Amino acid sequence: MSDKLKEIINKQSNQQSETLDQSDNIVQLVGFIIGEEEYAVPILSIQEIIKPIEWTRVPQTPAYVVGVFNLRGSVIPLIDLRIKFGLTPKKHSDETRFFVLKQGDEVAGFVIDRLTMAIRIKKEDIGPAPDTMVGDESMIDGVGKQEDKILTILKVNKLLERDF
Amino acid sequence: MDEFQEILQDFLVESFELVEKLDEDLVELESNPEDLELLNGIFRVAHTVKGASSFLNFDVLTHLTHHMEDVLNKARHGELVITPDVMDVVLESIDLMKALLNVIRDTSTDAGIDVSACVSRLDKISGGTGEVATPVNEATPAQEEAPAQEEVSAPKEESDEEELDYDNMSDEDVEAEIARLLAERQAEDKAKREAKIAAGEKVPEAPPEPDSQKKEEPKSEPVTTPVAVTPTPKPTKTQQKPKGEAKAAAPAKRTPATVEQTIRVDVKRLDHLMNLIGELVLAKNRLIKINDDVEERYEGEEFLEELNQVVSIVSLVTTDLQIAVMKTRMLPIGKVFNKFPRMIRDLSRELNKKIELEISGEDTELDKSIVEEIGDPLVHIIRNSCDHGIEIPEDRVALGKPETGTIKLKAFNEGNAIIIQVDDDGKGLDPDMLKDKCLEKNLITEKEADIMSDKEAFGLIFKPGFSTAASVTNVSGRGVGMDVVKTNIEKVNGIIDIDSQLGAGTSLKLKIPLTLAIIQALLVGVQEEHYAIPLASVLETVRISTDEIYTVEGRSVMRLRNDVLSLVHIGDIFEVERILDSSEHAYVVVLGLGTQKLGLIVDTLVGQEEIVIKSLGDYLKGIEGIAGATIRGDGGVTLIVDVVALMEIAKGVKASVSAESNTTALLTKEKTKASDYKIMIVDDSKTDRMIMRKALESLGVTLVEASDGQEALNILKQGDHNFDAMLIDIEMPRMDGYSLATEIKKYNRYKNLPLIAVTSRTSKSDRMRGVESGMVEYITKPYSADYLSSVVQRNVNFKSEFL
Repeated sequence: MSDKLKEIINKQSNQQSETLDQSDNIVQLVGFIIGEEEYAVPILSIQEIIKPIEWTRVPQTPAYVVGVFNLRGSVIPLIDLRIKFGLTPKKHSDETRFFVLKQGDEVAGFVIDRLTMAIRIKKEDIGPAPDTMVGDESMIDGVGKQEDKILTILKVNKLLERDF
Repeated sequence: MDEFQEILQDFLVESFELVEKLDEDLVELESNPEDLELLNGIFRVAHTVKGASSFLNFDVLTHLTHHMEDVLNKARHGELVITPDVMDVVLESIDLMKALLNVIRDTSTDAGIDVSACVSRLDKISGGTGEVATPVNEATPAQEEAPAQEEVSAPKEESDEEELDYDNMSDEDVEAEIARLLAERQAEDKAKREAKIAAGEKVPEAPPEPDSQKKEEPKSEPVTTPVAVTPTPKPTKTQQKPKGEAKAAAPAKRTPATVEQTIRVDVKRLDHLMNLIGELVLAKNRLIKINDDVEERYEGEEFLEELNQVVSIVSLVTTDLQIAVMKTRMLPIGKVFNKFPRMIRDLSRELNKKIELEISGEDTELDKSIVEEIGDPLVHIIRNSCDHGIEIPEDRVALGKPETGTIKLKAFNEGNAIIIQVDDDGKGLDPDMLKDKCLEKNLITEKEADIMSDKEAFGLIFKPGFSTAASVTNVSGRGVGMDVVKTNIEKVNGIIDIDSQLGAGTSLKLKIPLTLAIIQALLVGVQEEHYAIPLASVLETVRISTDEIYTVEGRSVMRLRNDVLSLVHIGDIFEVERILDSSEHAYVVVLGLGTQKLGLIVDTLVGQEEIVIKSLGDYLKGIEGIAGATIRGDGGVTLIVDVVALMEIAKGVKASVSAESNTTALLTKEKTKASDYKIMIVDDSKTDRMIMRKALESLGVTLVEASDGQEALNILKQGDHNFDAMLIDIEMPRMDGYSLATEIKKYNRYKNLPLIAVTSRTSKSDRMRGVESGMVEYITKPYSADYLSSVVQRNVNFKSEFL
């Protein structure tokens, strides 16, 4: 029974208590890039993330509604966030992903340029959205501050809301 | 008899459901007495039960619920505060109500429970004296009034006495009543017989209406409900001996209403099951497709037979399973039809007309959701037939028709649909009158009226705001009827067809799909997209050449046999980008919806397929012209066309102008430097590509390389580059130069793109093929760099200042 072992056990129990402490005020997000910006949504709102698959255009819809696609038997709308955010559309690349978000019965796929990573962020590090962007209409839930960058946290219900 | 049993059955099911809900609500109400919503809900329950029970002549129950209703009505208007004391009485009354319902379920009658004490307390609460004397008979058809009054007799101690009482009471008074009733019916029958004789018809053995009357008549007798003269509570008796009842109750009531041997299943579960079947059908389609592919590839192999067997078994079982699950949702349409005899009877009285209803095919089964949807439209249609269709007897006689009008209601299967037909032998529709009416109301223009066929004119009755009755009657004619009918029928993907002959009658035909979930569809292609059109609305398809399409007032039309059919291109409706060049031939899918017809121009017909309708979800619902989506055998999503909406949209779409003009503009962008010129080199040999690159590099143009036809086509399709010319080798793997050129020329935007063949094939026939496939130049290897460069310069109009 060496000191080393004790050390390790201590360390582990410390870690455990740490995670327990944090579980309350830590938010888990998944970050992604659209254009130049990094955005994030709560990890629990994500049903899955898939590589681009074939989709079908739906007429009489705004440009950002790319169409619908088949996700294991369900027909799901596909929304291009580049166009929705006013950027020019881009060809899908190897890094493009479909982000399938779900809230209640509402499900939709979103085209994003690139995934970054799962992020754990303390609640106190999340600031409110800029004053000009506050309100029910805003898609921004808050702004998360990290060491070297900030990321915009989006409201999932707003993303899934039909606005045309 | 059966009819009564069925109504009773429904009433019981509904009432028990309501009461169950009521318990929860009441408990909540006690803790939350101010909740108006809750009060209203409870009030409605009492009201509904009252209404239904009075209809069924359950007078004790009616009596009780009537007073409950009074109390609750006061409460919801704020005239009464719900105190626990009040609540006690209300709860007691609900318990009594439950007990009564149980008795009704077991014995088909509501006798045997004393509600007087509770009623009098209810009455006190609602501000009365508590001296509730009369069990009011709500149903009160004329012949029942008398007994109701007579039966205000002493309260019964026991149910056995009730019969005695009835017997006692049935001295002169009842005798007189029976005599009166008999006289009345005899008079009626006589009149009827006379009418028939007058009309030269054979007198039927049995009088046509005795059933309904018999039922009502005896039912009026057990109105010997207990009456509370003294507010002393009586012991409630929950069960009545059937033997005692035998004498008093009508034969109809004697048989206990046995609850059917069924399980009530949440519709959601059935829907889920249906969804799963839907998935299975899709998988089956896919399996069949794969089987076909495999068959093609491994022709003659032994395992194929086994695979074939498995596939056909799976497909067979899937189909059976689908039908079986569909059947669980099926109800006989008789459920809806049953209420019509009574309705017709009441209407004919009200309107002073003689109308007979003939029903056939009531066993025909339909999806539950559809049965629910078509009830109201049918009521409207039949009311209309009674009100506007059938003439009054004098007129009919004058016209030489039988005095009694007939309405025939029949249902039958036709393929994958059910037809419900309502025929009357009334005065029929007058197309000119209909047109005038519509002109008067500005529903159509003079010009439209002129070109309208009779059949189209009949369709006018479905226009919103149309009503043919000169005066608005109680029965129909509020000007909302028929268009609501149409919308409701279309909601279930049904089609209405109307036919009429002036003076001879009108026939309405409803064509309704068996189920809403799975339909037969025609798959069509437009450019690179596919759409599914419900086959029920497709009348025919025709192949036409483009010069058969004429333009009249900015609309495309064509001649179809003797008719002029207006046309619309599916691409114009769904904003399909015209990337492929239209060929000389097109297919026209003739869509029919009621009396309307429309020709839908499509590029290709893909075929007929059974598809499972999937919703587009909340996010995309309500898109004009799209009814839903389906998943095809290959896993792709195909949108389903909403034919009703399409017809509407088509009215606003002008003939399509050739889309070429705007795309060519893209190609002729101003060139400001040499590198603005883009040239694609397609050759499978790297060396050859290098030689061409070397020859052109000196010009300073931008070069893009592709190693075969397929790759070149993909680059073009992506549209990242605007090419000014292409150098194409002929001999290439995957797709050769000729095929590539042919494919490229299909696209509108590349129509004018110069394609230059660079090849070692030198024969004349090769050159000819090159020209045929759309090549403009033919360079044979070997060639000098200068020659290649000059050909390219000439074809792209290379500006000399860049040299």
